[in-house]
Order: sequence, then C-alpha cells, then structure tokens
Amino acid sequence: MSSSSMDATLPDLVCQLDNVQGFCRRSHFCSLETPSGFLMILIKFDGFHHFRMPVIELSEHGIVLIVEETGCLQAKVYLQKELFVKYEYTAEARPRFGVSLGLLVDCLNTFSVPGHSSMIEFRYPGPDMQLLLKSIDSLDACIYAEIRTRIPDTMSWDYNFEPMGTTPLSFTVKSSALKEAIDDLEWPGSSIKITVQPNPPSVTLRGEGHGDLQIDFLYYVNTDLLAAFNCDREVSHRYKYKFLRAATSNIPSSVVKDNRGSKITVGRGGILKVQHLVSVARATHPHIDSAGYQPPSRIAYIEFFVKPEEVDDD
Amino acid sequence: MKFKAFLTENGVILLERRFIPALEKMGKICHVYLTKDHTFFLHNLLTNDGVQSIAQFRKDALFSDYRISSQNEDRIGFSLDLSLLLRALRSAAAISSAMDRLQIKLVKKLPPNSTTPMPFLTFETKGYASAVIQDIPISKPLSRSQVLELQTALDDAQELPRTLVGVSELDRMLHFVEKMKQLGDVMGVEIGKNGELGLKVSSSLVTLGAEFKRLMIVGEDNEDSNGDNGMNVLVSMKHFVKCLQCHLAKPDCAFYGVGSQSGSLTVVFQFFVPGSRQTDKSISFHCRLPLLDPGS
Repeated sequence: MSSSSMDATLPDLVCQLDNVQGFCRRSHFCSLETPSGFLMILIKFDGFHHFRMPVIELSEHGIVLIVEETGCLQAKVYLQKELFVKYEYTAEARPRFGVSLGLLVDCLNTFSVPGHSSMIEFRYPGPDMQLLLKSIDSLDACIYAEIRTRIPDTMSWDYNFEPMGTTPLSFTVKSSALKEAIDDLEWPGSSIKITVQPNPPSVTLRGEGHGDLQIDFLYYVNTDLLAAFNCDREVSHRYKYKFLRAATSNIPSSVVKDNRGSKITVGRGGILKVQHLVSVARATHPHIDSAGYQPPSRIAYIEFFVKPEEVDDD
Repeated sequence: MKFKAFLTENGVILLERRFIPALEKMGKICHVYLTKDHTFFLHNLLTNDGVQSIAQFRKDALFSDYRISSQNEDRIGFSLDLSLLLRALRSAAAISSAMDRLQIKLVKKLPPNSTTPMPFLTFETKGYASAVIQDIPISKPLSRSQVLELQTALDDAQELPRTLVGVSELDRMLHFVEKMKQLGDVMGVEIGKNGELGLKVSSSLVTLGAEFKRLMIVGEDNEDSNGDNGMNVLVSMKHFVKCLQCHLAKPDCAFYGVGSQSGSLTVVFQFFVPGSRQTDKSISFHCRLPLLDPGS
C-alpha cells in the first residue's frame, strides 16, 4: 500500500477521538451525535449486506469513509481533522484500506462504556497493516483492538462529480421535509422521477408504480422549505426508490432537531448529490447539555451520490 | 437424617436477591451440601467438566436455630433445582413480614398420586394469621460414599492459586466481555505477576483485548513460577461469560489466578462486610474454569 510507511516506524496516522460514548446506548442509530456515530448511520442503509467492504481514506484533512452499493449509490462520511482531539498525519500518498464496517462498529461499541467518557486512539498501519484502536482514557485499564484491513476494491465508479453547465443546479431543502417526502413515496415505489424547474421555481418528486404520487416543493409557496434554489433550466431524472431512501432515511435526528437543510445538487449525467451536515457535540456531560448549555459544535458531513436509472434511448 | 433451621432476614436477602440468581446462571441444578457449620451450593463438582462453582456460607450467615444430624458425621447432600428454590424464596419473602419466621426443613412426604414418599425441602412461613408451606422437590439424599466423594472434590476445589490479582472495576469488565464474546469462542487470559490481567479474543479479522494494570496482588509473587512472563492460559468464552454471571451476587472484587497444578483458572469473589472494607469471612464464593489446550 503506501510506501511511505515502510521506511519509517512512524505510522501514517495517529489520531484521537473523544466522546465515543453514547451512540451504542441510543436505540436508534440516527440519533447519533458522535463522530463514530456516522459509522452507524451507514450501517443502517437498506441492503447494507450487499455493501462491499467500505474503504477508509486518510488524508491531511481528515478521514473519509466510503461505501458503495452496486455501482449506483455511494456514501461518503467526512470526519475532518478538526473533529479529532489530536490528528497526526505523516503519510505522503493518501493511504486507502478496506475494513469491515460491522467489525469496526462492533469494536467501537466495545470501547464505549456507559457512564464513562472514552477517548480512543486510532493508529494506522499496525505491524501487519492493521487498523489499531486503543482506549487512552485510563492508565489502569486499556482496551485495544487490531482490525485486519485489506487492499480496497477499486470503486466501480470512482466518483467524479461534475457540475452540470456553468451554474451548478442545486437547492437546499429542509431535511425533515425531504425525509418525509421520500418516506411517503414508498407506496408507489420502485422508481422516482425528480424534476427541477426554474419556472415556477420548484422541485417535483413523482413516483409511478402501483399508483401515482407526486410531491411538489414550490419555492414561492413556502420559503422555509426550499432555500438557495439554483436552476436555470428544467432537468428531470429517474432514480431507484431504494437508493433515494438510503440517502435520506438515516438522517441523524440532530439534523432534524436543528431544523437543518440538506443540500441536493444534480451533476452531469443526472448524478444526484445529497449532502447532510451534522453537528458533532464536544464531549460534555449530559447534565450540562440539559441545562441548556450548547457546547461549540463541530460539523461533519455525509454525502450520498445516487446514479440515475438508465434511460432507454430510442 | 434431620435438618431444620430458620432462615434469617439477611439470609433470605442474600439468597433471593444475590446468590441464587447468580448460581442459577451457572446451572439449573446444583448440589446443596449441609454440614455442621456450613452450607454449600456446588456446581459441577462431581462431573469435572464445565465451570465449577463453590458458594459457601457459614451457618449464621443464613440461618438461626440451625439443627442438623445424620449418621454421616452430620453431613447431608442432595441436589435441587435452583429455579424452584428461587421461586419459593421469592414468594416466602413476599408474604412474610420482618416479624415472621421462615423455617426450612427436610421432610419426606407422599406426593399426590404416588405411593412412595419423596424428599422435599420445605419452607414454612408462619405469619400472625396464616401459615404458608412450600415444598421443593429434591433428589434422594446422597449416600455415604457420594457425600465422601463430594467432600473430597470440595477439598480439592478449595485449593487456591498462589498468586491472584484483583479486579474491582467489575462493571467495566462485564461490559467489555459482553462485547467480546461475539468475536470468538476462546478467551486468552494473562495474569502478570506485577498485578496485570489481560483478556484477549481473536478471530481471523480482528483481535480485541483489554488490559487491567496495577491490580491488587494477593499471595506470593513467586519467582519460580514462570520467570517474569506471568501466566498465559486459554479458557472457553462460554465458561468465562458464565463465570461473570456471578456478578449477580454483587461481589466487591474478583480475584483471578491460575491454579498451580489443577489446570484451571480460578476466580475468587470477595465480599465486604456491608458498609466496610473488611472481607466478610462468613461468605466465600469462587469458580474454577477448565483450561483449554493451546494446541487444539
């Protein structure tokens, strides 16, 4: 893999993450507020079992976790280095490795002890190219894990998102409304046509299957709903329902609570980019939180890329 | 063969809330062994496979007015179903107030639809206005030779490792092992002579471990044992998890050691006299886990 790791004993990356406690105690993965919680979001994908082994990419900016399904859906979780208490990156080429998501989550769960705030150190690579995890919050007790990594599969569409035309076609929609709309479209099912048009500025989601259902987001009718609407021509593409759902169904509840929006961009070829911003709370004691104190939040983001359905050109 | 005693209020609490729930997890059926001074609950002592557990109570820890007699040096052994015992204790505790006396005795009775009398352990709660009697069926009392066998096994099992390290963060360990158990069937246990306890489980994809350092050391840290490497053994994950169920008995500390010759991992639970840091000498509870052959 990365050659820089061979000539020195220094690992490519040593980083520390606090407040991993919390996510395993919550019953639903979406209510996560910790960085490691993002991993859990991915796990809740529909059809998670079909996922290839996710790939982790390390860089000077942070850690990106990439999962992909059947070449049509890709999710990236960005954990920027600011989220970490300490982030020491020494590699030259960006190391990439595959790791079992289930194992990683299981291991992280092991580290979070109810009632303890835990600090974890990640280190890569280990002597046998493992991902090493170690708890560092106590001198007298230490939990460690060595997770075997593998050379990543090449992504079948290593993503190259290009905006369409000169002005990117994008809009921001309230995350809760987006989720609701997609949930409602389950009934017609199978394939959903998304139309974005400038006149009148609106976004239409239409499902045709067992029946038809159309949901319109009109820019002028509800200014809360749609924001930052950028569209100079009508664009329409069909997407598989299950992928749209995967991209919206696990929006962390904090996003909905904070009344945040999800940014949707349509790229060249109709590739849809759905971006959720998630604030990550600093390690605090729950009672401080409940007293109304808001710790300075850190932002991480999750991006989903959904390919449109093949169009029959005839 | 006679046994009759009154369970004290404290005895009921000890058994009902702590020990019987813990022991039940070790196995539904156990031997109860009564001697002039002690009451024992024993698991797997005669079968020699699986986790052995030995819970021992001085008679005054559980009973008052303790009377026992048998032609076998006043020792009585039998086996019973712990879930029935627990049920009887619970209902006895629920119906009796502090004033009531809860008598426990061995009887032979004619069960309904039967012509041969059967042995029972009978709980009798006498209240102000009512009395409730509960009969728990038990096995035929052990014969003289069986009792002897049990006593010999018990004597063997009482031998403790020369060095033990004590973990007081039991909840943390419990939580950790709970997660660990999904990863493998074999638990590696390392006991360092400077007071370290290491637990490790490996699968083809992941190794997960915990190290507890600077633990209390009991016994000698003898040089001649294994150099300075400490002891490194393997036990069945299933056994280890089972043994941790003993935490239901709410011990204050658990000591881990490897028996010098018997080839077992011994876990000794320590109980403090309530409200103090003094060991409660009237209760003793320990488990022995058979070691696995590292080759297999």
